[in-house]
Amino acid sequence: MNQLRKQFPVWGTIVDVDCASAVVSAAELDRAMESVIKFCEDVDRDFSTYKSGSWVSRLRRGEVAIEECPDDVIEVWDLCAQAKWISDGAFDPWAVDGGFDPSGLVKGWAADKCADMLVAAGAEHVQVNAAGDLSLRGGFVDGDGVVKPWPIGVVNPNNKMEVVKIYQISDGAIATSGTYERGAHIVDPHTGMIAIGAKSATVVGADGWLCDAMATAVMVGGTDSAKWFGQPELAGYQLFGINRHEDTAWEI
Amino acid sequence: MKRALLIAGGTVGGLGAVLAITPPQLTSSGSINIAGGAAMGSTGSTSTAAASSSTSTKAVATTATTTATKSAKPVATKKATTKATAAASASATATATHSATPTAAATTAAAAPAAKNGTFTGPAVFVNYGTVQVKITVQNGKIVDAVAVQAPTGRNDRYTQMAVPILKQQTLAAQSANIKGASGASYTSYGWFKSLQGALADAGL
Repeated sequence: MNQLRKQFPVWGTIVDVDCASAVVSAAELDRAMESVIKFCEDVDRDFSTYKSGSWVSRLRRGEVAIEECPDDVIEVWDLCAQAKWISDGAFDPWAVDGGFDPSGLVKGWAADKCADMLVAAGAEHVQVNAAGDLSLRGGFVDGDGVVKPWPIGVVNPNNKMEVVKIYQISDGAIATSGTYERGAHIVDPHTGMIAIGAKSATVVGADGWLCDAMATAVMVGGTDSAKWFGQPELAGYQLFGINRHEDTAWEI
Repeated sequence: MKRALLIAGGTVGGLGAVLAITPPQLTSSGSINIAGGAAMGSTGSTSTAAASSSTSTKAVATTATTTATKSAKPVATKKATTKATAAASASATATATHSATPTAAATTAAAAPAAKNGTFTGPAVFVNYGTVQVKITVQNGKIVDAVAVQAPTGRNDRYTQMAVPILKQQTLAAQSANIKGASGASYTSYGWFKSLQGALADAGL
């Protein structure tokens, strides 16, 4: 079993990639990892709202139209529109000060892309952790050679030394959004105010972009999110929300 | 005279008010050591193959009371500093040698037959806007306490330093960090995880 794990700084945070294969050589895993890192750097270059030359920054300033952007940017734009629709407007990258800001979806989307790149290269067991938004493929192999689902803990927003819940995920994604790390950075598109729906929201499901966006949306909508979370598009998705003031949590 | 009395009274009252609002101690840990803006160490790209664990290390600038050392060969050179009492851990220099990868950590755990009792401080992990360092207390093989001895400073203080027992019924003790990954809001989740891994390895958990 060849295993390769790398952490690299990108997007102002750190991405942690772990992959293993019984058939792919160490050199091939290395090459795949290089592609993943390159991809993440490209995502930063294209999507960063902090880089004035990025496509997203130019979109925000109205210098380019979405049709003129590269395929990845158009894809994310379309996914944002879907996420906005599914969440009944609670996730709205167009309602942000300064214009279109897909940051609430890009990390989850990119984590999926990275994971799929490694799977395409032949890795059977993959975990991509884009600073709390994870994409998982094929479970992991334990000390006895048994393949098990990845056990992924949800961090307690009140005490990060603890996990409050563990999800077992073989293939899929998990994303957590919260105000406890970077301060309040999510805006309620309906009011323009800081989102106060939840202290932390975790969504588990098939697609990383959807998990990421829905976690952001639940931060806005709080328990009201139950109204739209039952939609067919979110069949198979799970939600774990931690309320702001009481010591309570809820899940769907 | 009247005016002098008023001034005197006002001064005493003001002083009383100032004393009354002395900032509360936010954390339960006695050894909180916020490292200002000092970067404690920088995690570079770490690459690990299954057989050879080569770890990029960087020696660590420190504050007066906390030293974190990253070992180039985690397993071979691992040494755990066990602190018998809480008092000792609050005052003594905390030295933690850690393994940089879960793979290495698991190896160590397997080699250690039983978990030790005591307090174990993980490595200081530098994240974007500060340093995270985890301290766990182990009794009878179970983690009974886990606190951040360092957390990023700034406006997130009240979040990062609140060690309130919340979500009681759902909170799994940190030994359930039998997890292979953590999902949380950005940035220090990574630092939390890395530091906790080191502390768990030292404790033989």
